[in-house]
Amino acid sequence: MKARKTLAVAAAVVVGAMGLAACGGGDDSGSNGGSSDGKVELTFWHNSTTGDGKAYWEDTVAAFEEANPNVTITIQSIQNEDMDGKLQTALNSGDAPDIFMARGGGKLADVVEAGQAMDLTDKLTDETKSALGEASLSAFSIDGKVYGVPTAVLPGGLYYSKDLFEQAGITETPTTMDELNDAVDKLKAAGIQPIALGAKDAWPAAHWYYFFALRECSADTMAQAAADMSFDDECWTKAGQDLQDFAGTEPFNNGFLTTSAQQGAGSSAGLVANHQAAMELMGAWDPGVIASLTPDQKPLADLGWFPFPAVDGGEGDPSAMMGGVDGFSCYVDAPAECADFLNFAAQKEYQENYATAFVTLPASKDAQGVVTDPALKDVLTAYNDAAYVSVWLDTLFGQNVGNALNTSVVDMLAGNGSPDAIVETVNAAAAKE
Amino acid sequence: MSDSQGVGPLVTTSPEGRSGVGDGAVAAPSPAPRPRRRKRGSWRQRLEVTLLTGPAILIFLAFVIFPVVMAAYYGFFKWKGYGPPTDFVGLQNYLTIFQDPTFIDALRHNGFIVVMSLVMQGPAAVILALLLNRKIRGRSLIRVLIFVPYVISEVIVGTGWSLMLQTSGAVNDLLGKIGLSGWAVDWLSDPKIAIWSLMIIITWKYIGFAVILFLAGLQSIPEELHEAAAIDGASYWQAQRSITLPLLGPTIRIWAFLSIIGSLQLFDLVYIIWGQYVSATAGTSTMATYMVLNGRNAGNYGFGNAVAVVLFLISLVIALTYQRFVLRRDTEGALTERKK
Repeated sequence: MKARKTLAVAAAVVVGAMGLAACGGGDDSGSNGGSSDGKVELTFWHNSTTGDGKAYWEDTVAAFEEANPNVTITIQSIQNEDMDGKLQTALNSGDAPDIFMARGGGKLADVVEAGQAMDLTDKLTDETKSALGEASLSAFSIDGKVYGVPTAVLPGGLYYSKDLFEQAGITETPTTMDELNDAVDKLKAAGIQPIALGAKDAWPAAHWYYFFALRECSADTMAQAAADMSFDDECWTKAGQDLQDFAGTEPFNNGFLTTSAQQGAGSSAGLVANHQAAMELMGAWDPGVIASLTPDQKPLADLGWFPFPAVDGGEGDPSAMMGGVDGFSCYVDAPAECADFLNFAAQKEYQENYATAFVTLPASKDAQGVVTDPALKDVLTAYNDAAYVSVWLDTLFGQNVGNALNTSVVDMLAGNGSPDAIVETVNAAAAKE
Repeated sequence: MSDSQGVGPLVTTSPEGRSGVGDGAVAAPSPAPRPRRRKRGSWRQRLEVTLLTGPAILIFLAFVIFPVVMAAYYGFFKWKGYGPPTDFVGLQNYLTIFQDPTFIDALRHNGFIVVMSLVMQGPAAVILALLLNRKIRGRSLIRVLIFVPYVISEVIVGTGWSLMLQTSGAVNDLLGKIGLSGWAVDWLSDPKIAIWSLMIIITWKYIGFAVILFLAGLQSIPEELHEAAAIDGASYWQAQRSITLPLLGPTIRIWAFLSIIGSLQLFDLVYIIWGQYVSATAGTSTMATYMVLNGRNAGNYGFGNAVAVVLFLISLVIALTYQRFVLRRDTEGALTERKK
């Protein structure tokens, strides 16, 4: 089989060259870090393309470089929707960024399985471990080894505009589906679009399905599905049915199918930021995204938050939350300084700055005192009281099944799918792996 | 000869965006001069030909043929893209593709785009070319206006149109302002309308290319024919029908060929306007968007390569059939042996 080997090697060379070309900057000497004179170069990919978030990483990197004069870190900020694809291409080409964004779950598991992520278990300092705590680190743990460092915990729920609720005569935030339906009716009657939904990016629409599933399925069923990727329990179909019924009341903004989640004033976050829609179901990064889209680019003053309503007869704990963690992993061949940087950024000071810059919840418990945003305070309370927290299902199931799941939810919302089809889609996607 | 030289450089860039795998391969390669037959002494000539065509052939092999071969190889594997592929599954990927209703949908959309591009752009482009071929006031301005969309990059066009056509975008706003709010629809998200919105954008963008081609074709029609027709008392329209259209035939057929290939490989506009996920839902997915969504973005590189091969084969069969039956007269002697 000599011929095939040559082919494969040649292919690797060609793919490698393409990966280089795809890197835009193209001059990243990336993964061969240390050179003879003790100078170390790292490349760093994150997903903040605007404002304070971008500035935070620039400042943090500058501070790290000052403390470690022999290290230079080249930052690339990449639009969130492009991140998965770009990262996958870079990892395949063997020319990956040394520090890259990760969210745990199946997506990270794929990278780990391919031997592309560095085992950080012994490289994290005790301070880092105790500040972050078991819970958030476990999102990045696979088979007892840690492969990433969380920067933020991002539980989801409904963000809403207090002013618009008042305008529509809604006095209490909805706690049950009936009350939510009631709120939707009142908002419509007041001529306000009830719920902003960025279905163009698929995952925001899918989040509705995930939350219904969280309410319908017991904790054991959720864990079971993550383990064997089967949706046989009827609660999955029920969740789809719930969403279909809810979508039937037309609660979402006009043209939600071509609304993106975070890009520009016409996105779902932009609609909330500009009082064009009253609510949005999102993770805890949302206040930051909304802040960047308000007319004066300041946090929305009347932004409130309430947890996803309870569903009658559901098997899930009504206090259960769904959320993700944002964090960073190191490429398997990255220099040791990569872990140093992650430890550095996990310190209280930088975690506090992170929370302020991104208007979100920091992963470090030491830094959580810095959260002042009233909506986020509510999130934090609910998070600390939650019976259990599940990771976003698309993150949990990995890219292939996750994408298929998301797309099938959008299909159903567009009126050409069904609760059963969602379950079928997941099985069909598994056939393509 | 003269025909194909006019076309040669155009063939390598398909009109609808960047050419994908191998449409350069199926299009007309520039004809190599056939050496006059000599019994001996042709070594020098052979060396000359080798030296002159060598670099081009090498690049062609490296960047067209080799990737096609590699895609075919990867298509037989389930492969996540990390390291060499090991999980050989034979034709399983191809079975999955043709059993997947979303791929069949994408194929249907491609077919629709191919046919509608020809139907919508062809006649309009011929009329515009005839119009611009006459001396009218503001001719150069109209030419520029028609040709500008073709020069703007697809990404900018896609972003601009998607912003304007959003449900709460400029188009619906304008319709509301002029009292036609009943006409305001979900241009992009209503599956019944979305593909027509796409067709309008494609027509607006690529008609300039057709018009320029046809104008060039019109230049090569001898003036004497029109004079003779005028002496015979033919009206303007008669002359157009009996002289211009038949003599424009080769140009129209070549344009149609380029348009078909471009439509089959349409990717960028759809990807920009509908994003990564919802084109199938909106009924505007194409084989290329299916490939990216289910191949690269899902991390199923083996499956994605199989889709690429299917797309390549479909394009190849259509291109060869078209060349064999439609372009035969036009390319005679350039690509094929001249019949005695």
